[in-house]
Amino acid sequence: MHHDKIDTDALVIGGGIAGLQAALDLADQGFRVLIVEKQPSIGGKMIGLSKVFPTLDCCSCICTPRMAEAEHHPNIAIMTYTEVRHVRREGDRFIADLVKKPRYVDEDKCTGCRLCEYACNTELPHEFEGDLGVRKAIYVPFSNAVPQVALLDLENCILCGRCEKVCPVGAIDFLQQPQETVVRAGTVVVATGYETIRTDFKKEYGQGRLPNVLGALQVERLLAPHGPYGRVLRPSDGKVPDSIAYVQCAGSRDRSAGVSYCSRVCCMYAIKQAMLLCGTLPLADITIYYMDIRAFGKGFEQFYQNAKAMGIEFVKAKVASITEDQQQNPIVRIEVIEEDGRVEQRQHDMAVLSLGLVPGWDPREVGLAAPAPDGFIRCTQPMIAPCRTPDEGVFVAGCAAGPKDIPDSIIEAGAAAMEAAAYLHEHTHVAGKETTTTCMK
Amino acid sequence: MSTRVHPELHRDIARFGGDDITKCMNCGNCTAVCSLAGDGAVFPRKTIRYMQLGLKDKLLASPEPWLCYYCGECSDTCPRDANPAETMMAMRRWLTAEYDHSGRGRRLYTSEKAVVTTILKAAFIPLALLLALHAVTGFQRIVTDRVELNTFAPVMWVWAVVLLHFAFLGYHLMMNALHMIQHIMKPEDPEAKVPWAAYLLELKSLAIHFITQKRWRECGEEHDGQWLTHLLLVSGYVIMLVLVVGMLGWFQTDNIYPVYHPQRWLGYYATLVLIYASAAMLIGRFRKRTQVHRFSRPTDWLFPSFILVGAITGILVHAFRYAGWPWPTYGMYLIHVMAMVAMLDSEVGIGKWAHMIYRPLAIYLMNVKKRTQNQAVPEAGALPTN
Repeated sequence: MHHDKIDTDALVIGGGIAGLQAALDLADQGFRVLIVEKQPSIGGKMIGLSKVFPTLDCCSCICTPRMAEAEHHPNIAIMTYTEVRHVRREGDRFIADLVKKPRYVDEDKCTGCRLCEYACNTELPHEFEGDLGVRKAIYVPFSNAVPQVALLDLENCILCGRCEKVCPVGAIDFLQQPQETVVRAGTVVVATGYETIRTDFKKEYGQGRLPNVLGALQVERLLAPHGPYGRVLRPSDGKVPDSIAYVQCAGSRDRSAGVSYCSRVCCMYAIKQAMLLCGTLPLADITIYYMDIRAFGKGFEQFYQNAKAMGIEFVKAKVASITEDQQQNPIVRIEVIEEDGRVEQRQHDMAVLSLGLVPGWDPREVGLAAPAPDGFIRCTQPMIAPCRTPDEGVFVAGCAAGPKDIPDSIIEAGAAAMEAAAYLHEHTHVAGKETTTTCMK
Repeated sequence: MSTRVHPELHRDIARFGGDDITKCMNCGNCTAVCSLAGDGAVFPRKTIRYMQLGLKDKLLASPEPWLCYYCGECSDTCPRDANPAETMMAMRRWLTAEYDHSGRGRRLYTSEKAVVTTILKAAFIPLALLLALHAVTGFQRIVTDRVELNTFAPVMWVWAVVLLHFAFLGYHLMMNALHMIQHIMKPEDPEAKVPWAAYLLELKSLAIHFITQKRWRECGEEHDGQWLTHLLLVSGYVIMLVLVVGMLGWFQTDNIYPVYHPQRWLGYYATLVLIYASAAMLIGRFRKRTQVHRFSRPTDWLFPSFILVGAITGILVHAFRYAGWPWPTYGMYLIHVMAMVAMLDSEVGIGKWAHMIYRPLAIYLMNVKKRTQNQAVPEAGALPTN
């Protein structure tokens, strides 16, 4: 096993939009930055989204340039498909143990030509497409992945060797091993993001077994221009849905699901998706079942009013249960609160769970301080230094600290970068100017 | 019609149990998850809303709390952990206390001291009566060389006291039921009249629901066991009630009948099911594994405990007489009677006896109302339900 050693100013854990922004803001000041991303590509959750609210800008068009910028920045090094095992403090420096998982493809040789992917005949559900599309056992994670390097899923590979034969540069390496790296860094920025709550969090919602009940991130893929079907279809039978239900607060503000907080983004992403669906399927009826619409951000209220004006139906009700009929049409059961309080079972062609945001990572796993009671990274001084964590010199940005939307994540990433830079100036003597030449690749 | 708001209502009901009802944000999950809600009766949210708004009159006129059998699904899924099921239970206790104009119900539900003194006072009555009887006869009547219970407690005297006690309790119960009917049937529109025929035609449903509590089964198959246990308890309880109140002269006898005689096997059946069902209920409350058993108030422990004590002491009286031990028989008989009188006295105003009347009555009154409405507006049943 290799043991590499890397010396850097800042270690950024997580290569989503918050991590990229923090890394770029630090790198632009002349600090050397290492981004560690556990997925095979940077870009995080944002690169999988269709459009952003409330401006309806294209997500890829915002996120891809940031990814490319980070990739080509002279002060930024990126390690993908790499996990942080342990972080400890040694004097003024942090020592982090990283493990790079084997891709079974030589990253330096691979050109991303995808010949291996075309040759492979093993088909598997595509995680990036929310398991809706199909990928091969060897594949480039998605079309605008950074780096454009293939990845071999050895667990599902039948070892037929076709990819090895067609690879023009001989990059396939079935014998690759996990690779350990030790990083010395002056500061750490945690930008580990979030996960959506699992669709089986509530037995009343079909436990993730109803094919036409989708999670919101799956619908983002359906709506994305390069999504799994290239259009909006429902998964069970490929029917174009005429009636779509949005189930709000599915796994947020719900103590029975163990999530008492509001996930902040679900109201707006549901409204955004509903609007996009109105554009894609002009004849479809879209109903949003909500407890409260929380349209608190800049331009959000107008966005909500526009959605209502577009004919999207908003029904105040907490959906109690989702079942299905013989055609696998989801049936939601609600109390019609705003009328006579009767109980109704409404049938739709497709239902979307506006899944709440839960922490994706526990800092205790790597030896950092315990998170806040909600599971997100604890912020010790939310009023005066919002990015500061209980570990001195470790800063937090984006959804790792709690659910928030993309603009807020980017602002927080900038703040974290600023605090980290100040910390570096104070605690280490690697002032920005002398480090501009050190670029590790 | 004017509505008077009682802002203290939810705090008053909180004294009868339930969670902090200001937690509820009226999302409607509880109503939508309830398998009994619908068909004109939507709960729990509606009644909880009445509580929050302080609409005391509306709540007093609501049959809904009695339609809930506490499956606990609303509490399991409540996004706010507001425990709607236990709140419905608290409402039932509060309604019981409100319909009971004597104030006994409220005292028993809200004061543990009142429960203890009521039990002690009631248990003292049979003791005092027996002592008085034997004091008058100079303690000469009691046969001690063999078991002759009727010399210790002459059955006709006991029967007379039992009947008097039951007349008193029955009157109490009927008055409470009447108050419930008055509240629920109070017309919102003074012109609207409920025809007597509707009351008569629905009597059958009253009887069916009184005996079977069959609406409970709509809570879902997983609660059938609970329903069956309850039905067993009711069967044993009713048999014992009939034997003691209606046929004591025949039931309390010094003859030892053969085993196939109804006096014996009816008694055995009732004893067995009462012991089984009350023990199951006590164990459930002890373990707190199901929603219905998570929150137990002193009054909830009372009834199954008394049933268990009553059944065990009752069968011991029988066993001791069979063994031919006079003093243990007499002593156990006295304990048995004291316990049962205490149970009846403390339970009739509240809880178990009350719901025996209120639950079927609520369903009955709802059906009467529905029948009246359907006659007035024939299309009412054909509302689109999507």
